[in-house]
Amino acid sequence: MRVATVTPAAPQISLDRVQKTYPNGTVALRDVTLQIPKQDFVFLVGPSGAGKSTLVRLLIREEKATAGTISVEGQDLSRLKRRHLPYLRRKIGMVFQDFKLLPNLTVFQNVGFALRVTEGALRHLKPKVEEVLSIVGLEGKENKYPDQLSGGEQQRVAIARALVHDPRIFLADEPTGNLDPATSWEIIQLLLQINARGTTVLMATHNREIVDVMRRRVVAIEGGQIVRDEDAGGYHAPALESH
Amino acid sequence: MHRLWNRIDFAFSSAWQNFWRNAAVSVASVLIVWVVLLALGSLLLVLHSLDQIVAIEKTKASAISVYLADTTPLSSAMDFKLHLEQDPRVTNVAYVSKDQALARFRQLPALDPSVIDTLGTNPLPASLDVTVRDIRDLGAIDQEVRNSPLVDKSPATNYEPNVIDKIILLARVAGIAGLVLIVGLTGLSVFIIMLTIRTAIYLRRKEIEVMKLVGATDWFVRWPFIVEGLIVGVAGAAVAVLIVGFGYRPAVINLQSVLIFVPLAFDPSYLRIVLAAMLGFGLLLGSVGSYLGVRRFLKQ
Ligand SMILES: Nc1ncnc2c1ncn2[C@@H]1O[C@H](COP(=O)(O)OP(=O)(O)O)[C@@H](O)[C@H]1O
Ligand SMILES: [Mg+2]
Repeated sequence: MRVATVTPAAPQISLDRVQKTYPNGTVALRDVTLQIPKQDFVFLVGPSGAGKSTLVRLLIREEKATAGTISVEGQDLSRLKRRHLPYLRRKIGMVFQDFKLLPNLTVFQNVGFALRVTEGALRHLKPKVEEVLSIVGLEGKENKYPDQLSGGEQQRVAIARALVHDPRIFLADEPTGNLDPATSWEIIQLLLQINARGTTVLMATHNREIVDVMRRRVVAIEGGQIVRDEDAGGYHAPALESH
Repeated sequence: MHRLWNRIDFAFSSAWQNFWRNAAVSVASVLIVWVVLLALGSLLLVLHSLDQIVAIEKTKASAISVYLADTTPLSSAMDFKLHLEQDPRVTNVAYVSKDQALARFRQLPALDPSVIDTLGTNPLPASLDVTVRDIRDLGAIDQEVRNSPLVDKSPATNYEPNVIDKIILLARVAGIAGLVLIVGLTGLSVFIIMLTIRTAIYLRRKEIEVMKLVGATDWFVRWPFIVEGLIVGVAGAAVAVLIVGFGYRPAVINLQSVLIFVPLAFDPSYLRIVLAAMLGFGLLLGSVGSYLGVRRFLKQ
């Protein structure tokens, strides 16, 4: 289990005995209790169908927990009113395996879109978009369309878009799932950089190599239950648990 | 200010894109709105004209014109006038000569004076215009004067006992039929606008997904679709308003030349009310249709 450290006063993300059963009866999460303090960098690992994406969807309340409590930034998500949901989402940056870019918009417009649709004042739009594009290293590609970019570049656009609201939490659901190993490492470097700027990062992945090399906190989930939670962990538990 | 402007700009530019992106469906909904409003505008004007006619007929109701044969000498006509004036039921009798009748006829609003001039002779009969104390006596007097040899036979008088009732009945039937038609068309147009909006939502599903993901509010997501519905309503209304606005006067003039004795008049102040009502109803159709379109489909 998790090696004891000094626990900060209130974790930024906290799940307490969370269960999730989908309407079709599939039990995706059984009894998940997990706490993530500010500025943590956490890998969420586990086989396909383990419940990683479900956990992520619960954190942005794309789904509601069936039982248990989830709190994010001090807010109890089960009691969060629908009209307050957009403001929660603005505090959380989120990227996916499939990037979710809009094909008819340029890189600049895709990133700016997140500001436009959240009623950011338009005069702040350009400097902000330029700032996040330089963080992800895409200066000079502003006017390209997604299909003119490599997979790694597209994921950087998605990351830039997730950063425009200066999120306190960054969630990545298999962000390297569609990328080759070299590109995957670049994306990981970017996430580390974002984490180093003070943002909490939770990354669901089954990229074993990355997890093993990084030696960061690893939360392993299987069949909807947390089976391991280690600081500086690897993808698999050590083969021999010697004392 | 900037935020508000951004919101409006986004809603209108997306709505405009939506409108053209599924142009066929959008045009269909504009057409149906147009038909509804055309029916509404026409019905209101027809009913108003019938009302006007009823009002004028009512003021004329206590009098009849007794047409005199062209062969009647003036002295006999004056005797006949005197005879009628002695009747206790009659309050007043006025003699209208053939020339006076022609002069009156010329004053009818829609008439082209040259039409009469081409006839050469004056086709209108002289008449005795008899006013009675009680409208209910008109029928009896009509019967009596018809027997006089002085009276023209085609027609003898302008007495039409049921004309008002007939017009009122006509107005009622037209009103009910028009209302049923408009209610049906209204339902149909709201339904078609709703389908248009759902098509637009479907075509934008990726954008909507991203909008929700990055924290757009529900209303920010909805507005473009509501605006699209309003565009449909305004576009349909605009065409209908132009047609009714420019068509009403020529229609009245044409009808006047056919129905010479019907007191049909052009009423510009009522026309303005009708046009405003059409525009308002177009906006209502658009907003109700699009609200129904977004209501269920933007819940996640
Ligand atoms: N929307 C859904 N409706 C029903 N079942 C679902 C849904 N999403 C995921 N599941 C099921 O829940 C379980 C966990 O899925 P998921 O969270 O996607 O796992 P992972 O991301 O670890 O692969 C799986 O059995 C999956 O089939
Ligand atoms: Mg998944």
